[in-house]
Amino acid sequence: MTTQKQVNHLGRDMWFTSLASLLAGVVTSLLLGLLVFIFISPVKAAEPVGSSSAEPVRPDQVQRGSLLLRPSSGDVTIQAPLLQTEAEMNISGMLARVTVRQRFRNPGTDWVEGSYVFPLPEAAAVDRMRLRIGERLIEGEIHEKGAAKKVYETARRAGKKASLLSQERPNIFTTAVANIAPGETVQVEIEYQQAISHSQGQFRLRFPLVVAPRYIPGRPLPNRDVAAFQGNGWAQNTPEVPDASRITPPVVASDRPLNPVSIDIRLDPGMPLSRLESVYHAMAKEKDEQGIYHLALQDSMVPANWDFELLWVPTPGSAPQAALFNEQWQGDEYALLMLMPPTPAASTAVRVPREAIYVIDTSGSMHGDSIIQARAALKLALERLTPADRFNVIQFNHQTTALFSQAVAATADNLQRARSYIDRLEADGGTEMLPALQLALEQQAERGVLRQIIFLTDGSVGNEQALFSLIHQRLGDSRLFTVGIGSAPNSFFMTRAAQFGRGTFTYIGKVAEVGEKMAALFSKLETPRLTDIKIRWPQDQQVEMWPARIPDLYQGEPLLVALKLQQPNLQVTLTGDAAGTPWQQQVTLRGGAARSGVHQLWARRKIADLMDRKAQGVAEPEIRKMVLEVALSHQLVSRYTSLVAVDKTPSRPADQGLEHKALPTNLPQGWSATKVFGNLPQTATASEWNLLIGLLLLACGVLFSRWPGVGFGVRVGPVSDGKARGGNVL
Amino acid sequence: MNRSRDRLMHLLVVGMILAGTWQIAEGGYIKAKAWLAQYLLQSAWETTQAGEARVRPWPWADTWPVARLRVQRLGIDQVVLSGASGRTLAFGPGHIPGTALPGVAGNSVVSGHRDTHFRFLQHLRPGDRIELTPTSGARLMYAVVSTEVHDQSDLWLLDQGQALLTLITCYPFDALLPGGAGRFVVRAIPLKGAGLHPQAPLVADPEEQQRIYM
Repeated sequence: MTTQKQVNHLGRDMWFTSLASLLAGVVTSLLLGLLVFIFISPVKAAEPVGSSSAEPVRPDQVQRGSLLLRPSSGDVTIQAPLLQTEAEMNISGMLARVTVRQRFRNPGTDWVEGSYVFPLPEAAAVDRMRLRIGERLIEGEIHEKGAAKKVYETARRAGKKASLLSQERPNIFTTAVANIAPGETVQVEIEYQQAISHSQGQFRLRFPLVVAPRYIPGRPLPNRDVAAFQGNGWAQNTPEVPDASRITPPVVASDRPLNPVSIDIRLDPGMPLSRLESVYHAMAKEKDEQGIYHLALQDSMVPANWDFELLWVPTPGSAPQAALFNEQWQGDEYALLMLMPPTPAASTAVRVPREAIYVIDTSGSMHGDSIIQARAALKLALERLTPADRFNVIQFNHQTTALFSQAVAATADNLQRARSYIDRLEADGGTEMLPALQLALEQQAERGVLRQIIFLTDGSVGNEQALFSLIHQRLGDSRLFTVGIGSAPNSFFMTRAAQFGRGTFTYIGKVAEVGEKMAALFSKLETPRLTDIKIRWPQDQQVEMWPARIPDLYQGEPLLVALKLQQPNLQVTLTGDAAGTPWQQQVTLRGGAARSGVHQLWARRKIADLMDRKAQGVAEPEIRKMVLEVALSHQLVSRYTSLVAVDKTPSRPADQGLEHKALPTNLPQGWSATKVFGNLPQTATASEWNLLIGLLLLACGVLFSRWPGVGFGVRVGPVSDGKARGGNVL
Repeated sequence: MNRSRDRLMHLLVVGMILAGTWQIAEGGYIKAKAWLAQYLLQSAWETTQAGEARVRPWPWADTWPVARLRVQRLGIDQVVLSGASGRTLAFGPGHIPGTALPGVAGNSVVSGHRDTHFRFLQHLRPGDRIELTPTSGARLMYAVVSTEVHDQSDLWLLDQGQALLTLITCYPFDALLPGGAGRFVVRAIPLKGAGLHPQAPLVADPEEQQRIYM
């Protein structure tokens, strides 16, 4: 009947329609392709393919030495030594003595030399290294770096067991152990002294566990000199980072992390505690009768892929307001002075308009948890702005982009734009930090406006010095606050950049911490700080104080200086400026607690201060001379001094070779290897998929159109008669 | 009831036809672009060979020809572009920044789409000759020594150190969807008298200082 007829009729139409659309699709695609080149100059005929012969290659045609193709990746002929680390911390009040035992085991059948690149706290005063072979202990000696290396090399060649501990950065060290016999275990014990950082009533001890892969800016230097004991990093040295190969240990990204670590802590806080926790690792704690806490990891071993942090908080009112530790060493009096300045009265805290520049690192190393933490922190920061404030958001990976061309008023509209901008931030690409800092430091605020740069990054770069120099030169009246993000931030960069930027540093290691840590930062950003702090010494006193210039103090931060004096009991006056109100305090240095290691903390601070002068433009040879003098006399490892221990008798038979192996390290927790190291290019398109799906859809469409009762509209059909259209009543 | 079902079917059919057309147009566009671009790139290549540096084939292009790649046995003749971003690879094989430029001593790595330009890699056999003409004009001959499948994270394939030509495309060749982790890698070594420029710097132009990792 009519229906039947209609179906037939429309079915024919349908065929036509689909064929027409197929044709249209192909024509459209060709037209689109042509459109792309519409502006191109006339095409010339392709040159005919060259007339070279197509016969197979003869062996004599091959250039000599060119066939050196590498076997498949992951090929390990000689096994690297296996490492196990034990950290034992003895914390008493504000000082900690830490012993790190690195146990190198050679699982292979060849004699090996192992080198391990590992982190330590950036303020650690490393003063001791011992090599343990079986029951014997060999004490390490401090030497100038080059001389120490020579001692080590000589021993290595002679087949003697030896170990060398050198510093690459204040927070990156390398242990090298020579001549480990097959199946043997050799232990290197490293000891250091550390003062505990204390801020806003909280004590925190950070123990980094892994050197995160660093971004190395610049092109590789052309000739990599191949000498013994080179760096074994995955990066090549560049003009910007001449020691890149020494700070980029091989990385293994696997489900089973390497390098297990155990941590045991004895904590004598010296005051009642309201809170004690290991922030990132589960720990078992016990308190004995003397009020001393004993802590150990719940899983006796954890992989070295996430920095350890211990936090303790005294009960309200019991936090120390002042502390003095002293030590007599070689006829001199050394002291470490901690002083809590009075909190400025709340009434003086008039809110100054601020210009906040948020700089966020969106490089590949921030991928995963880190960028989530950074986004959350940034959004919290935006909430603190008032309409009187101005702000801008800068993101950088290998490129720097700013949300606004310059700082804008924090209106609801602008804040909304910023929030959606932040939501869209993705982490990928390189870490060219210099241009981002340049952009942030370029502009200056108007008078009476507080300009604050909040810099969120993991600091995974190798060119710290260049960045410090830039901050030092361009800071002006701005202040720089670093927020270290992720499981293994570069603490040296964080603390030093904040110091050069005359701000403070904060660490965020997990998303749950963002609120608390950012709140602490906001209270520092929004309350006036103590500036121009000076200590007046009695006239006749020769005092050597480090840091030489006391930094500004933010809310809740204590004054901490290391002193070298002639006599212990002194009356001193502290002066400063609290948001325009002069401030003064009398202090008597008397009866401090005698502690060993204070002189080393003093020397460590002096070295840090001297090293900072490099960024201020002092020539390196001059710095080197001064640092060498301090480091050698106080037995400290520094950029220019190393500890070396050598066994007396050779152990490796002269006819046995020695293989060098760099110990692999873990990728920090939460990092993505492909985002950090990249991938080979993506070399496929979905064209074939598109074609297949397209054909399938068309075929289905045609089949379905034959379904009884489907009145197919002729609107798409190019040919139709009025009757059909009229009959197609749906 | 029937009417509403019919209406639904009707819409479904229209939707399928439209989506099908769109998909075919999309797939055809990729193929057409890849095919047409190579013809159109020839003129830019000739200008480049005439001595002009960085000839952009069209005004808004962010790439330019760096070499010409030929395999006589398979009748292949393609213009290699600078850079290996998705946008570049749509028009032709791309030279990966950071690896040796064609004609410069080192490992020159070129990647291309497995479903367009570099589909021919599956037919290459050890002993095949590849002719590479860098912008300087001197013709270099390479011989294929290996064809292997690797993972996309095997970045050591980009390592410098010896004179090589490395061609990379996605693997398997007949996979329908992009995004796989396999890479088909062809290694070729220069033949005697290939005339590499051993003294040339790795990267002559600071603007080309792009990085691969991080």
